[in-house]
Amino acid sequence: MVSKVLVANRGEIACRILRACKEAGLASVAIYAANDVKSLFVELADQAILLEGDSITETYLNQTQILEIATTTGADALHPGFGFLSERADFARAVSQAGIQWVGPSPNAIEKMGDKMSARITMRDAGVPVIPGEEIETEDEEEALLAIQQASTRVGYPLLLKASSGGGGKGMRVVDRPEDLLEAVRSARREALAAFGDGRIYLERLLTGSKHVEIQILADRHGRTIHLGERECSVQRRHQKVFEEAPCATMTEEIRFAMGKAAVAAAMAVNYEGAGTVEFLLAPSGEFFFLEMNTRIQVEHPVTELITGVDIVREQLRIAAGEPMSCGELHLRGHAIEVRLYAEDAANNFLPAIGPLAVFQPPEGPGIRLDTGVRQGDEVTPNYDPMLAKLIVWAPSRDEALQRMRRALDEFVVLGTVTNIRFLRELCDVTDVIEGTTDTTMIDRLWPDGWSPSPPVEFEDGALMAAAVAESAGLHRPSVSTPGAGVHSGPVSPFLTLKRRYP
Amino acid sequence: MHHQFRTPQGPVDVTVAKQGEIWYLGEHQATLEHDGRLRIQLASGASGFATVAKVGDVWWVHFEGYTFCLERIEAGASQSGDEGGLTAPMPGKVLDVLVEVGQLVEAGQTLMVLEAMKMEHRILASTSGQVTGIHFTVGQQVQQGSVLLEMTEDED
Repeated sequence: MVSKVLVANRGEIACRILRACKEAGLASVAIYAANDVKSLFVELADQAILLEGDSITETYLNQTQILEIATTTGADALHPGFGFLSERADFARAVSQAGIQWVGPSPNAIEKMGDKMSARITMRDAGVPVIPGEEIETEDEEEALLAIQQASTRVGYPLLLKASSGGGGKGMRVVDRPEDLLEAVRSARREALAAFGDGRIYLERLLTGSKHVEIQILADRHGRTIHLGERECSVQRRHQKVFEEAPCATMTEEIRFAMGKAAVAAAMAVNYEGAGTVEFLLAPSGEFFFLEMNTRIQVEHPVTELITGVDIVREQLRIAAGEPMSCGELHLRGHAIEVRLYAEDAANNFLPAIGPLAVFQPPEGPGIRLDTGVRQGDEVTPNYDPMLAKLIVWAPSRDEALQRMRRALDEFVVLGTVTNIRFLRELCDVTDVIEGTTDTTMIDRLWPDGWSPSPPVEFEDGALMAAAVAESAGLHRPSVSTPGAGVHSGPVSPFLTLKRRYP
Repeated sequence: MHHQFRTPQGPVDVTVAKQGEIWYLGEHQATLEHDGRLRIQLASGASGFATVAKVGDVWWVHFEGYTFCLERIEAGASQSGDEGGLTAPMPGKVLDVLVEVGQLVEAGQTLMVLEAMKMEHRILASTSGQVTGIHFTVGQQVQQGSVLLEMTEDED
């Protein structure tokens, strides 16, 4: 039985989970750091508890404190979301030992799949091809450097350095030449240590020209393990996904069948429970290689939800409660695309941006979904990930979905903070995107010297005119409201009453 | 009314005039909507709505799918010149300082490593030259625009 869920996360994904709890009739608890006190997710929870401490380590990564809050608030389940503690087997174990249901797979499964090396071994044993690669186990800096140098000659160049317990592009480096290896390793280890508290590095061959395709898995305790089709997330910059879609434009029934079967086999090999994602690299030849398994809900889960009609977070809660999953036979319907809106300056090497969200007006209309943790008036700070929102569209065909995405992005207005909206809009006009022939190197290939917007001069004139008229008309000055009754500067009048007549 | 804005291409002078409810800029026209937006009618015949917001001195304008940042230059205000130093592109923390004062560096050489939003950013020398000043040490917080290091350029 699950009746009260603590959401051990923040921002957009906390909102997504808290809303699912509300819909499922479950009570919810949010935890928040002091700098999140006004964030949307805090509002959406039935109960919100302040985390003591300043840094992320002291707050959202603080296992002891979070577990204590879960216990004292009487939560009987804990949803970790993604990032933060979502793939920490030790935390999952501590949660379970405290008698609280972990919304996710067993600590054992997280350990096996979360560790890139044992995941590779598990997959190889399940008969799934893996990319040539090696893990460096040693924690000692100098020993690790030596071991990595030796391993690099076996793996071959170009190669990719990854944090063993990483994700989200953190601790990840592409190394094209042996002479760049050492500096890249030092910096990757440092970033990995800061982000995950684990400096172990994993090396693998970089397969160019491949697509990033992943399979969504659901497994319950009643013996059912299914896949919900694939997502393609090839369009990435700095190994961060920016544009995701389902289904994959070039997928064939044969490949989907084989990939789905491999993913289900992988999940079953670790007695998987809940929602998970098995990531593959799909080579132009149609061969695919196991990349990794994410043992948690994924950022891009909405595209799968839109084409399958399955509410994945709701299923997670159902499965955690010990119920069988509710979805029957699946049919993929239409096409869904998600773009990630980042507060970042695409024209300045995609550096994160900060500022107020003076205007935040998302698009509306048919086939549009917005998953966000912010609203107009919020401040974008350097404290957390710069992702502001996920804009997801659905349409009967891929062409129509792209048309809808273009329209939606044109309508999306964010003022006060630089965002990548225009960059995303122009992605929708790239030939590779239109034809579905995207691969993981596309952005670097198309814009080797970075991207910058090039608005027609006429539009710039229009914007300059708008600014000049707005300044002249005094639009920046807050309108003076007529002080009516009840607006006092002194103490509150005892004669103010709420006049309501009941018939 | 006359205004000056800073654009990526340089300062631009804009003079708008109002007749009745309509604002004019040459043959472009604009009217104020009741919700604070502006309806812009361009000389070419194209038209659309502009959404505007002012943050500090900057007018943010969304028009036809583009977002513009137009900093208003106050009449009489001095033009801030280039600092000549290497500045922090964003707020963050200094992770590593790889050079010393007096050191000769090559163009593209990493001088400092910053961490912001859990990502590392390397501060590179834009030209070859000599480091003449280092203003931060490892562990210190830096604000966006802080001058991190100073260096002289090589004369060639």
